[in-house]
Amino acid sequence: MTDTALAQTSNLLFTVALFTYLGAMISLFFGLAFTKVQADGVEASTVAGSRARTLGMVLLTGGFAIHLISWLSRGIATGRFPLGNMYEYGSGMALLAVGTGLFLIRRKYPNLLAFVTVGAILMMVTSLLLFAEAGPLLPALESYWLQIHVSAMMFSSSVFIVAFTFTVLYLVKDRAERKVSMTDTFGGSTVGAAHLAPPDARAEEIVGRVAEGEEREVEEASATAQRDVVNPLLFPVVPFVVVLVFVLAVWRAFFPAMLAASAFALIGAGIWYAIPHLPPAAKLDNLAYRTTAFAFPLITFGIMCGAIWAEEAWGRYWGWDPKETGSFVTWTLYAAYLHARSTRGWRGPKAAWVGVIGFGALMITYYAVNLFVVGLHSYAGV
Amino acid sequence: MTNSSAPDTARPEDAATPAGSRLPLIPGPWETAVLVWKRLRRMSTALVLLFILATATLVATFIPQEPVIASTVSAWREGTEGPGAGVARVLDALSLFDVFGSWWFAVLTVALLVSLTACLIPRWRVFFRNVRMPANAGANLRRLSHSIELTRPAGASEDEVLDAVQPVFRTYRSRRVISPDGRARLAVERGHWREGGSLVFHTSFYLLLIGVALGSAFSFTGQIDIAEGERFADTPLGYQARSAGTFWDESDHRGAITTIDDFEVTYLDGDNRFVADEFVSTVTFEGADGTTRTEEIRVNHPVHFDGLTYYQRAFGFAPQVTVRSGLDGSDLFQSNMILRDDGGFWTGRAKITQGSDDPARPLPQIGMEVVFIPDASITDEGFRFNSPEPNNPRMAVTIYSADDLGLDRTVPVSQLEWPESAILGSAMITPGESAGIGDLGELGSLFEVEFGGGEITMWTGLQVSHQPFRWLILTAASLLLMGLIPSMYAYRRRVWVQVEDNHVLVAGVALHRKDRFSEEFEDLVSRVRGALPAATGPPPSAPAELGVRDPVPASTSSAPHPPSSDRSDL
Repeated sequence: MTDTALAQTSNLLFTVALFTYLGAMISLFFGLAFTKVQADGVEASTVAGSRARTLGMVLLTGGFAIHLISWLSRGIATGRFPLGNMYEYGSGMALLAVGTGLFLIRRKYPNLLAFVTVGAILMMVTSLLLFAEAGPLLPALESYWLQIHVSAMMFSSSVFIVAFTFTVLYLVKDRAERKVSMTDTFGGSTVGAAHLAPPDARAEEIVGRVAEGEEREVEEASATAQRDVVNPLLFPVVPFVVVLVFVLAVWRAFFPAMLAASAFALIGAGIWYAIPHLPPAAKLDNLAYRTTAFAFPLITFGIMCGAIWAEEAWGRYWGWDPKETGSFVTWTLYAAYLHARSTRGWRGPKAAWVGVIGFGALMITYYAVNLFVVGLHSYAGV
Repeated sequence: MTNSSAPDTARPEDAATPAGSRLPLIPGPWETAVLVWKRLRRMSTALVLLFILATATLVATFIPQEPVIASTVSAWREGTEGPGAGVARVLDALSLFDVFGSWWFAVLTVALLVSLTACLIPRWRVFFRNVRMPANAGANLRRLSHSIELTRPAGASEDEVLDAVQPVFRTYRSRRVISPDGRARLAVERGHWREGGSLVFHTSFYLLLIGVALGSAFSFTGQIDIAEGERFADTPLGYQARSAGTFWDESDHRGAITTIDDFEVTYLDGDNRFVADEFVSTVTFEGADGTTRTEEIRVNHPVHFDGLTYYQRAFGFAPQVTVRSGLDGSDLFQSNMILRDDGGFWTGRAKITQGSDDPARPLPQIGMEVVFIPDASITDEGFRFNSPEPNNPRMAVTIYSADDLGLDRTVPVSQLEWPESAILGSAMITPGESAGIGDLGELGSLFEVEFGGGEITMWTGLQVSHQPFRWLILTAASLLLMGLIPSMYAYRRRVWVQVEDNHVLVAGVALHRKDRFSEEFEDLVSRVRGALPAATGPPPSAPAELGVRDPVPASTSSAPHPPSSDRSDL
């Protein structure tokens, strides 16, 4: 039933795609490093910088194509929809995250694309750790509702990954903008300050106007000042410590923990370096909101399909199985995020933190519940 | 829930002090109710409730829930698993082993519903008002974020112009109104579905909850593990495990009889040869009214019969075992034993005799334990399982006998502790074989155990449920989704077209997604320009377009778009 040669080709292509993404990420960061934000806020690339950026874009698009072929050939090799285990699911998530990034922000924000690529690479590495040989499915998983359910869940998760990237960058950029505005002698209104105290119901409108009208002013005041006002040590140290403690606590393996922690420290440093290159906070916030608003109906649909499938397979549509419970938490938190964004006193970083927690719940539901909690869904795991 | 645009939370009359009283009195029951109501109307309250809901649910993900896995919960309570018996007692006190059935979860749900209601009622009211009445733009349309003046075709009346323009806004809601200064005006609006969808989304939660409540109140679920060839009836005693809702009555069992004609299982091959590919029960239903139907029940393909749904749940071996008395040859036990998978071995227990109730004449209790091995070979390292199919079936039978094996207890036999000292003897037999257990020397043996010949019988685990009102739940869920999509993607836009002395004024404003509006407005303007009726009088001497306001660039908005009607005149 399983075509071994094709499955091996698929695995090989997966590795090639992973390295291509790595190359793309390095090139995009290289491009970023060789680009200066001038006093008037306009980015000026050196020749090397713009070449690196172009190379990154080419590599990313190529990697996406290779990844797509890898994922599809896995499906052909197993003779089924390639979403049968965590490896395939994670691979699909990374694929669609890159796809969403390429579709959404390729032209306007190549700097953001670098971070989306980081997210996709992390997802792929995790998938590799959970690698499962190509094989057929258990009978309970053979249902077209499963295919709809799992694809909707995967698609929405991949968009949530992109949204999470924007949210984190927003939080960083917003903090930098605020700090600059506080040290700024002019004390001019910035995007961040507008978030602080929206005076009335038209706050959203004002935020929008500030973003449009005073974008230039903000950039001017903060070309590299935004990088200088935040603590450069915090960015690599905090992810390093958190990841180190987490991996040590869960797997008790020192070298992998150091490796993972260093990778995250590097990402943190990358974020710090990129602060001036990021679009204004209001823009990032808007991007995060819109991607979440896209993924939310999708995850709602996915959960509904899951209930229909559960009804057919297990004879009940909802049973508070750990996976069901987890998806309910995730759904509730993202619903709270969408509401918080239109609630006085919650807009801005506060709402963004709700989004971050929502993403945390999504990851717990996906990884922790699959791997550590015993439930009906656990056979859907590795 | 309440938008920030509803200015209802910051009014001074929110204060608890009733008007007219001099002292700040302790609020009475009515004031408290009003205060709670006002507090619940706040979006931030709803948010906090949502967070509590999420936290409670997250806790329920990691603490085993009694209705889901009761065995793990009892292990936690005993302290054999989990953080220990002491912690389990605390968890129990907080009803964290049954979060979704606890009183505080019910309170939380009610609070959320009240909050939802408090938000929704005013919103529905405002929504209906907004939909019914065209939005009022005031006298000066030029103060709106987007406006443009087009040349009024000479000789065309106000009505002619508006009639010609109206079809442009086919996908909008357009109405004729009179402006404050008495001019004919077209008020166009779209994007009501943003708020409407959001209202449908939130309101369908009530429907969902009603469906869930009704469904669980009238539901019934029964489980049964039954061997091939046997039959069971839909009666209160017909199931091995059952749970029913409050309004499910025993008389609701209609008494359909299900006969298991056959059970088939196929396995995957290669490394996955122990993984079942598909398992199917062939059953014949016999309704109370005499109708019969033969159906196949397989995973993901339940079968409906006489108001009940039958699901394929589990399966296993059910070999026929007979125990006879070695002394007189009388049958003591004959049954297809339901065996369960225990790491490649299939095990099961049965009681042979219960002993005597009369303390004066004590008789020992006798129990039997069976270990069935479908296909394994014994090597130096122990058992090696070759296949899950019964290619080389063998059965180890052990008979226990003691004064008290616990057979008169209500605990399932499989959970009893039988001491090794109670072992009377054991034997390994193959199909068709029989063996004696309990050697009595010349008299033969105490028991004779026989493994029924022929093909090994299987058992099938079925779940039988009656779950009404699922259509209501599905309808509610569909409404929820259908409301959600426009609430995310519909953007409100208002546009007005007003005919003035020399020009046609088009003005608009976007309430959401303002960054996209300029483009849309430009497009609308060019279509309006194309729809204007042809000039029948002398062209006006005034410049073609008087003023073009930002953000529509003059160059693009005044680009020549020859109206089709003009062209037909030429």
